[in-house]
Amino acid sequence: MTLNRETQLSREETDSILGRHETGVLSLAREDEPYSIPISYGYDAEERRFYLRLVSTPESEKRRFLASSPHTRLVVYEEDDPIYRSVVTSGTLNEVPRDALTVDHIEQYGEAKRPLFEIWGESRRDLDIQLYQLEPDELSGRRIEIERDDTDS
Amino acid sequence: MSSEEDEEYVFLCPECDESLKVNDSMKESLVDRGCVICGTSVTLKAFTKNPAGDSP
Repeated sequence: MTLNRETQLSREETDSILGRHETGVLSLAREDEPYSIPISYGYDAEERRFYLRLVSTPESEKRRFLASSPHTRLVVYEEDDPIYRSVVTSGTLNEVPRDALTVDHIEQYGEAKRPLFEIWGESRRDLDIQLYQLEPDELSGRRIEIERDDTDS
Repeated sequence: MSSEEDEEYVFLCPECDESLKVNDSMKESLVDRGCVICGTSVTLKAFTKNPAGDSP
């Protein structure tokens, strides 16, 4: 028999997970249609803010979803059997205009790794790279420990 | 962002072709951290003086 023991992560533990990872799954929606993509991010634990570079082409599905709704969810998780940790955040995705860029933005996006999952095979000149900040309305983490007894083996 | 007078340089990313007007501290950060748009490493060669930034 398997028992799951679930606990809420502290703010420090949650920030630690977000800091040691650089990828997650971003979910968007348009009407009743969901859209999820793996993305790379940078995370400022002090401000509790995410920095994302999102790459799209003019006719891409991603572009259509990004244009439809700024509300989003981001999930980051890790597994180290028998312990599983996850962080879920929901909030608003705000585009950073080019003419609003500051030194702080340059430093934060320097922390945000190159978009590992994006299509860099095409010339970057043909891609539309937009900078976004994700301001969380909710941000929480969970830790689940799987306790297995001998009958599981 | 800084005022127009402070934007002493024009940054042109050699990789993504992004062009930005930047001040001295932004220039230093870009060299240190890479292109803010695409993440590519950049050198001082990517900067030219901004004519508008020289005006009084």
